[in-house]
Amino acid sequence: MAFGKISHGLGQTIGALGISAVAALTAVVPAFAQDAPAAPSAIATGAAQGAAMASGAGSYTPMKPVEGIGMPIDGAYGLQTQFSKTGEYGEWIHNIILMPIITAICVLVLILLAVIAVRFNRRRNPVASKTSHNTILEVVWTLVPVLILIGIAVPSIDLIAKQYKPAPEGALTIKVTGNQWFWTYGYPDNGDFEVISNMLNVPGAPTINNGVREVGSKPWDGPSHLEVDNRMVVPVGEPIRLQITAADVIHSFAVPSLWFKLDAVPGRINEKVLVVEKPGVYYGQCSELCGAKHGYMPIAVEALPRDKYNAWVLTHAGAEIDTGKKKPAAAAAVPAPAADASEAAPAADATAEAE
Amino acid sequence: MATTADHFQAHSEEHGHHDHEHKPAFFARWFMSTNHKDIGTMYLIFAIIAGIVGGAFSGMMRVELAHPGIQYLDTFARWFGAVNPDFNTTLHTWNVLITAHGLIMVFFMVMPAMIGGFGNWFVPLMIGAPDMAFPRMNNISFWMTVAGFLSLMVSPFVPGGTGNGAGTGWTVYAPLSTSGSPGPAVDFGIFALHLAGAGSIMGAINFITTILNMRAPGMTIHKMPLFVWSMLVTAFLLLLSLPVLAAAITMLLTDRNFGTTFFDASGGGDPILYQHLFWFFGHPEVYIMILPGFGIISQIVSTFSKKPVFGYLGMAYAMVAIGVVGFIVWAHHMYATGLSVNTKMYFTAATMVIAVPTGIKIFSWIATMWGGSVEFKSPMVWALGFIFLFTVGGVTGVVLANGGVDDVMHDTYYVVAHFHYVLSLGAVTALFAGFYYWFPKMSGKMHSEFLAHVHFVIFFIGVNMIFFPMHFLGLQGMPRRYPDYAEAYEYWNHIATIGYMVMASSLVVWFVNIIYAYVAGKKAEDNYWGEGATTLEWTLPSPPPFHQFETLPVIGETAHH
Amino acid sequence: MVASAPPTPRRSNRKTALTALSAALAMLGLGYASVPLYRMFCQATGYGGTTQRVDEAQAATVKDSGRTISIRFDANVERNMPWQFKPLQRTDTVSIGARDMALFWAKNTSDKTVTGTASFNVEPEQAARYFNKIQCFCFTEQTLKPGEEVRMPVLYYIDPAILDDPDNKDVQQITLSYTFHVTSVQDNSGADAKTLDRTQAGG
Repeated sequence: MAFGKISHGLGQTIGALGISAVAALTAVVPAFAQDAPAAPSAIATGAAQGAAMASGAGSYTPMKPVEGIGMPIDGAYGLQTQFSKTGEYGEWIHNIILMPIITAICVLVLILLAVIAVRFNRRRNPVASKTSHNTILEVVWTLVPVLILIGIAVPSIDLIAKQYKPAPEGALTIKVTGNQWFWTYGYPDNGDFEVISNMLNVPGAPTINNGVREVGSKPWDGPSHLEVDNRMVVPVGEPIRLQITAADVIHSFAVPSLWFKLDAVPGRINEKVLVVEKPGVYYGQCSELCGAKHGYMPIAVEALPRDKYNAWVLTHAGAEIDTGKKKPAAAAAVPAPAADASEAAPAADATAEAE
Repeated sequence: MATTADHFQAHSEEHGHHDHEHKPAFFARWFMSTNHKDIGTMYLIFAIIAGIVGGAFSGMMRVELAHPGIQYLDTFARWFGAVNPDFNTTLHTWNVLITAHGLIMVFFMVMPAMIGGFGNWFVPLMIGAPDMAFPRMNNISFWMTVAGFLSLMVSPFVPGGTGNGAGTGWTVYAPLSTSGSPGPAVDFGIFALHLAGAGSIMGAINFITTILNMRAPGMTIHKMPLFVWSMLVTAFLLLLSLPVLAAAITMLLTDRNFGTTFFDASGGGDPILYQHLFWFFGHPEVYIMILPGFGIISQIVSTFSKKPVFGYLGMAYAMVAIGVVGFIVWAHHMYATGLSVNTKMYFTAATMVIAVPTGIKIFSWIATMWGGSVEFKSPMVWALGFIFLFTVGGVTGVVLANGGVDDVMHDTYYVVAHFHYVLSLGAVTALFAGFYYWFPKMSGKMHSEFLAHVHFVIFFIGVNMIFFPMHFLGLQGMPRRYPDYAEAYEYWNHIATIGYMVMASSLVVWFVNIIYAYVAGKKAEDNYWGEGATTLEWTLPSPPPFHQFETLPVIGETAHH
Repeated sequence: MVASAPPTPRRSNRKTALTALSAALAMLGLGYASVPLYRMFCQATGYGGTTQRVDEAQAATVKDSGRTISIRFDANVERNMPWQFKPLQRTDTVSIGARDMALFWAKNTSDKTVTGTASFNVEPEQAARYFNKIQCFCFTEQTLKPGEEVRMPVLYYIDPAILDDPDNKDVQQITLSYTFHVTSVQDNSGADAKTLDRTQAGG
């Protein structure tokens, strides 16, 4: 099938578009609507299901990541560009609220120290004053920080509430399991197949994973230390219920460009919703010390439009399209409400172009 | 038990002045010492040795991190006794380095220097006491710390799972530290913490008793110098937090060796509970490391501004507030463990509260200098460096306090940058400030002011080069505790490694300065800092007599805080 | 070090030191006590996703609310556990307040008799306090002979009080997760069953 090649070029285009779109979004207070993406994705599901059924089998060629998107940039000094609603909100809190405040505090302290150095040195001011109390001043420097902190706490608490909003009805569930030292991704709603994800070996370095190819040996390979043999493929624009656990010691599933980090704790699951806004490949790394190869179990999340996601699903033995979902049939027929149009746009566009 | 009272009677007035210098023979003086100044000196020397070891470990880490790929770990693995290490053993050595660096710097460098060193030396002097309340217990505390350090030094050379040494991180999280690390290395590490912890608890009891009961007449609690206040709060934090650590690591020990399942899900335990217990200790622990630094800085700022500390009561009770709030914010170290949303919100709000008393301290120091006649002697320069660097470390703490923002920061280099700004650049800068402030008092010799300033400038440039780029690495998502990284993290890592070399060269200046002081340094006067230095230690000769205050000083109404 | 009874000033020192020491010992005790206290706290509040355990009599008093909610079942085994373990239904829609049964299936794939225990939790966490188990295979240890298969039931209901809890208003699906751990292995050659197998790790 020619599907793969299209997805290839498309990924780059969409990824490139994504930069500017997200940059624009972060300039304003991001609107937050986690339930919204359900509608456009439903359209995609319907269409893709038809396509996939017709072809009868899946097909998949990994997407080539876009340089600097979903991965670190050398010499950069800010956050990675964000590709989720929580990420955009968090980035806004960091860049627009926290950074200016903490910079201002540091500059204020520096200026005061400089003034002291200039005005109150021994030569300029040979006789020291004996002032050691000023009640008004002390009240001010207690109350002003309190007010600043309240100002920070309001959006901060709001962000936590939004991050932990439970998954909406019909959300796709993906199971992540941390192991020493690789990740496995289970797809219980897609026929319960499992993907084992190992870091690709680095040319010229000792073998990290036996039997795994070297990074750069396929055209779609991303950066070394971050690329894996089998990525965690997810549908774009849909809320995904990620359930995370570990089989041995504690690991942590983290993707910086998706503002996502949750520990994988043996003996229990942790759950959080992930919504990826743009198709693309997003890299992360294990973020809890888990033994010798802690540094060699990266995470690669590939977000695909629904139809391509379904095609990828069907490449696995025993795969089904979202058996666990109880999406009302009507939802597929209802177009996205006007209010959600802006939210829906990326996913809907992607779907349209892909067809 | 030979206590202060015995000394006091044995060396009462009629013996005359020369008896103050009556010192035991070498072995008895240094190995069975009950003299707070001698024990303080031993703690300081011990802390310098431990600091060199811990600093060497960080140098090994920085040199490995200069470029992506694994360059030197294989060699380091051989140093720890591995024969032909395989790749896992090589990588395990990295985890040993980070673990040892953390434990050494926290338990065997900062704490012994701050509490054991300056605390022992100057708390009795500042409150007008002849010695600590329990001099022999003081000696036991010191030697337990030494024994703990030796136990920790054995750990890297014995098996610990995939290689020699404990590769669990200083946090020793279960189950990596239990089922994930067979071999005795982790047991040696835990034993080291037990010994150091027991020593510190005894030290805390000693300080609390000394400060509460042995103040000179007129030295009311609200006239104590702020350094003594800081030691009092620190001692209470130690007393209440270390036993919780002791309990937690003892349970780890039994989980490892005797089949209990306190933190093992297979027997109904919960590995997250270990983290709660560890951080219930661990968060007060960071204040244990920084509060004495606050005290030192307060003394220095007041001395060189020739002004009393601004808002003395506010400063003292800000430390008490930091100590109290420090006990109810621990889970901000655990935002990624899957805490419930309400828990995360509570810990976010509670953590931010700490910024208020911390702000009071920063602004009060500035207000102390404001209107003063400031002399930029070496301790003052270090203190100014402390105030600025601690502010930078403090504000990134406000960023990390936000549970929602922590989703991208947690366990990245941003956290490493933050806690090194408050500890490596904060506590260590305060230690150097205290060192230059009191070194002539302790040794009787003046150091070179010029070299001390050179030391400061190089150190300041070096540490900022190491740790400021780590903020950028963290924001770009580089996880901590990685020996190898993607090429996109190379630029800032390389700069950090260069910064390490700059910082290390400043230490050479420091050692030269110490040698200079002993070889060519002028004899120090009683009060070599002049009119601004008003606490009791400046009324004594430099160095103070072996037994001081045989007639207790009486503190009048006008006494300076 | 308090053996020799000292004169006045030292007695006050001893008193202070003993008070401080008892505070330290109290904290030590609290450290150990935290294990049962934490467990009780979790059981009482559902903290950490801990489900509630009820007996038949309590369960009989609960009324069917007529509202439904989706339940998901999740099964895991620890690394060295030689069992296959799966839920026989991935999801189930249940009536809140009505009791329901879920079945799990396990098979011992080793040639040894293995006893296991299951740890469990519920996500989203805030729903745990309303998740009541009447019967569960996790209440006791389970032993499987070599090659033996077993179907294991969980009898549970969701407390209708969940409908009045604002923290749970957005919860659309509750996941009940189990992880089986090795408790003991018989016919074992003596190797420690709990040690992680390093040879197979990392591919």
